[in-house]
Amino acid sequence: MTRLRIGFLAAVIAAPLAACGGAPKPEARMASSEGAIRGAQEAGASNVPQATLYLQLAQEERDQAVQLVKDEKNHRAEMMLARSEADAELAVALARAAHATHEAQEATEQIRDLKEKAQ
Amino acid sequence: MIAKLSTLVLVVLVAACGAHMPPKELVDARAAYDHAAAQEATSLVPAELHIAKESLDVAEKKFADDPDSQDVRDSAYVAMRKAQRAEALGTVAAATDSKHTAEHERTRTQAEIIAAQQGKLANAQDQIAHEHANLVQQKQLTEQERQARLEAEKKAKDAMDALSKSLAVKADTRGTVITLSGGVLFATGQATILPGAQAELNQVADALKTQAEHHFTVEGHTDNQGTDAINNDLSNRRANAVRDYLIVRGVASEAITAQGFGSTRPIGDNHSPEGRAMNRRVEIVVDRAVTAASS
Repeated sequence: MTRLRIGFLAAVIAAPLAACGGAPKPEARMASSEGAIRGAQEAGASNVPQATLYLQLAQEERDQAVQLVKDEKNHRAEMMLARSEADAELAVALARAAHATHEAQEATEQIRDLKEKAQ
Repeated sequence: MIAKLSTLVLVVLVAACGAHMPPKELVDARAAYDHAAAQEATSLVPAELHIAKESLDVAEKKFADDPDSQDVRDSAYVAMRKAQRAEALGTVAAATDSKHTAEHERTRTQAEIIAAQQGKLANAQDQIAHEHANLVQQKQLTEQERQARLEAEKKAKDAMDALSKSLAVKADTRGTVITLSGGVLFATGQATILPGAQAELNQVADALKTQAEHHFTVEGHTDNQGTDAINNDLSNRRANAVRDYLIVRGVASEAITAQGFGSTRPIGDNHSPEGRAMNRRVEIVVDRAVTAASS
């Protein structure tokens, strides 16, 4: 009975410890975060006001993650990179949305001009 | 001691689970998801909305498992971004749709404009063809008229030429003058045309009928024997007798007038029998002027 309780207690204490220190370096996450940031830059996020903030956040979070890896806080780094990737992907989507909206407006204006000319 | 401690840990954990308020990130993530799901455009990207939902579910589970952990805030942050991303991609899909619709409409409108212009062009071409056909027809008519006129003129000239072979035909200031001898036409003192003169007058009538656009004057003349009153009357009756005969032979009555001059216009010497015979005559003048009624 006592040994069981000791075992349970040990497990309760050991789990958070393992979570903090023992995680491997988040190399895959780092790569996908970098990829997402590049994608946002290529989508023109730095030229789209709505997207610029999220690209900047993604870059800052990536930098923080690099520092966290150096400090051997690998799990925190992993989660920071998840934020970075999510921000970068949002920047891509917002840049695309701005671009598509602009094109739709142009097409609509063209058809209006054409109809005016036709009359 | 150890048993008491473990019981305490459990109690704390249970209390934490029940009472903890969700972190701000999770509250924001839920709101962002609800907002995205409410957008009409997001229905165009169900897969993206599903990803956002799954991401929110992960954050909710972590919150249920360990409300205080940094992981909850991180995953909630990620879930919020996924919801915002789904909304942005919905905007992309809606904008792309409306662009395609506009492009389709533009193609259709352009086709309509072209069709309308082609219609106008076809009408204009029809009109030009019609006018051209009219012009050609007019030209043909004009040419036909010209040919007809030339033929008529030739016929008129031929007739007068033929006449000049058997009769005295000459041109003077009044026009073409056909001179008929009074002795051939009439008995002395009479105004009745002799049967022997009919062939000659028939020939004249046929020639005059070819001169449709001219007016004719029949002039009666006598020698100076007898009184002027008798001579004037006789020349008048003789001129009218010839006019009447020519009308009977088909010359238009409105184209021909008659006038007697008595002895006032001799062409021969009244002192000799030959001269007097020349003066007893009927002249038919084809007026030089072309009448307005001609066509």
